[in-house]
Amino acid sequence: MPNVLAIQGLTYKRNQKLILKNIDLTLETGKIVGLLGENGAGKTTLMRLITGSAQGSGDIMVSDATTATARKAHVSFSEQLHGFNKNVKISRVVDFYQTVYSDFDLNRYHELADFLQLNGELKLLALSKGMREKLIIALTLARQTDLYLLDEPFGGIDSMSRKKIISSIIQWKPDNATMLISDHYVTEIAPILDEIVVVKDQTIAVHQKTDTIRSESGMDIEDYYESLYAGGVDHD
Amino acid sequence: MKFDDKVPIYYQIKNYLYHEMLTGTLNPGDKLPAVRQLAVDLTVNVNTVQRALSEMITEGTIESQRGKGNFVTADTTRLAQLKEQLVMTQLAQVYEQLHALNLTDEEIIASLKRYIEQKGAGQNA
Repeated sequence: MPNVLAIQGLTYKRNQKLILKNIDLTLETGKIVGLLGENGAGKTTLMRLITGSAQGSGDIMVSDATTATARKAHVSFSEQLHGFNKNVKISRVVDFYQTVYSDFDLNRYHELADFLQLNGELKLLALSKGMREKLIIALTLARQTDLYLLDEPFGGIDSMSRKKIISSIIQWKPDNATMLISDHYVTEIAPILDEIVVVKDQTIAVHQKTDTIRSESGMDIEDYYESLYAGGVDHD
Repeated sequence: MKFDDKVPIYYQIKNYLYHEMLTGTLNPGDKLPAVRQLAVDLTVNVNTVQRALSEMITEGTIESQRGKGNFVTADTTRLAQLKEQLVMTQLAQVYEQLHALNLTDEEIIASLKRYIEQKGAGQNA
């Protein structure tokens, strides 16, 4: 199967401090992959390195693009909307996305917005935490691209919003696209993940298929993940 | 549907579909929902549904028709085999557990009979 992402020997330092070291990671086309790790493990940093908004040493290839500028066209990253004025209406944000991203598909956006019950007339400041995450998901998935990076899309939101977002991921992820979803609590998304990648001790500690973990360890994904922090998997 | 996260999801999807096929929600020759629809209904990954369906196609419990979708096999002999296989799997578990309690085969049969009689009496009461 062809790879959508290939990272080799990636190291990243910030203010002389080593954040990520010797990362090797390849993701196949069409997968949904969970990116797990504690707060501050470097999950967001890894995503920013992939999109090219942070620069490290090593090689990162997305589809056939190697430079940071070329990679941007192949990656849709769940931006946190910090750059927008709080008084701006959702519809204005959508206009902005349409202008900036040539792969932004307005029909897809409207389908997603209908499904997630987003009202374009609302201003950003009027959005609840759940609504805001739904908007970010709709904007991110409305782009038609090869790699989607969702950075903690379920942080601090209610279970109904979470279910809607999970459902929209299943429905709108293009078959040939790969999706990397970061989270520090895996149970709710475990059934939709093909694989997990765990960032620990500044590098990739585990990259494994979820059904392989279930059949080989007999553990659920959350327990397996926690066992990595308890001094290794217990094979008794 | 709720899955047990300790058991491979593709395996649980197969069991879910077997159940639909053997209880008559899906009849012989019926068309299965589209792969993505199944994924949405069950809240699982499209690839995992695909893996479950591929295995079922190989086993001959469902048939894939190009451009039309997947169908429950119309071969009722194959479905009878499937039912027998599932019954045997369930019984194997019960048998193992009762054997582990040092019951002989005769005692197992006798307890099973007793259980069914008592259950029947309870339901009629």
